[in-house]
Amino acid sequence: MNQNFLKAVCAPVAATMFLISGPLQANAAMVPTEQVVTAASQASVAADRARVNAFLDREDVRGEMQRMGVSPAEAKARIAALSDAEVARLSGRMDDAIAGGSFLGAVVGIVVVVAVVLLITDLLGITDVYPIGPVR
Amino acid sequence: MPIRLVLAALALWLLGACAAPQTARLLESNASALPRFAQVGGVPFYAQTDNYCGPAALAMAATWAGVPLTQERAGEMVFTPGKEGTLRNDVVAAARRLGLMAVELDDVSSLLAEVAAGHPVIVFQNLGLSWVPRWHYSVVLAYDLDHQTIVQHSGITPDRATDLNAFERTWARGDYWAVVLVPAGELPAAGRETALLEAALGLDRLHNYNASTKGYKSILKKFPSNTPAWMGLGNSEYARADFVAAAEAFERAATVAPGDPAAWNNLAYAYAAAGRNRDARRAAERAVAAATPATVGAYQDTLREMAALPID
Repeated sequence: MNQNFLKAVCAPVAATMFLISGPLQANAAMVPTEQVVTAASQASVAADRARVNAFLDREDVRGEMQRMGVSPAEAKARIAALSDAEVARLSGRMDDAIAGGSFLGAVVGIVVVVAVVLLITDLLGITDVYPIGPVR
Repeated sequence: MPIRLVLAALALWLLGACAAPQTARLLESNASALPRFAQVGGVPFYAQTDNYCGPAALAMAATWAGVPLTQERAGEMVFTPGKEGTLRNDVVAAARRLGLMAVELDDVSSLLAEVAAGHPVIVFQNLGLSWVPRWHYSVVLAYDLDHQTIVQHSGITPDRATDLNAFERTWARGDYWAVVLVPAGELPAAGRETALLEAALGLDRLHNYNASTKGYKSILKKFPSNTPAWMGLGNSEYARADFVAAAEAFERAATVAPGDPAAWNNLAYAYAAAGRNRDARRAAERAVAAATPATVGAYQDTLREMAALPID
């Protein structure tokens, strides 16, 4: 079946199920803290929509993590610790948020010109790739 | 040396020369409340293994905060193999999973204020250039304004001193991202009210109510009229089944924000759980009275539930 069609059908259904079963107030219940915090910064209707989007984002981010070699259980545990707002910020920009390549041997494999530029910028205090920074 | 390269370097230098504005401002103002020198003692050093600057930084900061953690275990919690790197969000999430308050910072004076308060800080830098990025995590543990240096446990080098201006330029290319980890119950010196709240809420999300209770309490000591924190404390106490403490917290929330139906609604549940049925009903009536037409339905349901409770 067409992937886009599936997504188009599934997303609203999932959102509706979330709205019915989730912590949004549909019946008498305690108001959860997350809703209080979210509502403090956004109008109520917008906040509800943001929560639905965040729910969908959670699935997207989790899937993306698994594709990058994180086990399903671990991906779930990582996402669970984030607030809806944090997941929303993360969604769609995993590449920006990734970090921390190798430190040693950093320049191996990069063209010599780049290495020279980085050496100069290091000496100027703009970059800090080599161990010989402008330390005082 | 080819002339083009010299020009490129010159252009970069000109760009770079004006790229450490916060440090410049900080050094100019003598009125700054920061001590000239500060150093955090007892921060363990773990030399990173390949690509593991993120896990190493987390392991050092968490161990300092009282949760001993190896670089390998930290790697399982934050490293993303497909990217050979570590996501910033995963560092925050991991700290919360360890029961710590993780609060993000984003400017030089906040960073140095944390160090002055005795807290090491995880920072995220681009040591290279935007088009040759060299992403890196490390732990800041000291600074010296007179010598304009900042000291980090970084890579395979403990106590590495760097020029403060150079540090700010590389940190700016990492979006000025930093996170301070403290035990729940303690509070970072800097950190905006919302960032503190998100830290406590993160523990709440993971159902670590012992830690989130401590977190909310420490926030309320500093910001006693923060309604979401009173609500968070109430909900955490309720989840721990301490209904008397929950009721007290919701009472405070309702006092600070009497027009907030959520505070009265949750207070009703806390009273009911504590066996104070008459008060529960009264609180539910206040919730209905404070509600808007869009939200009143749910609060009327609460009132019906509370009205059905037996009263001697």
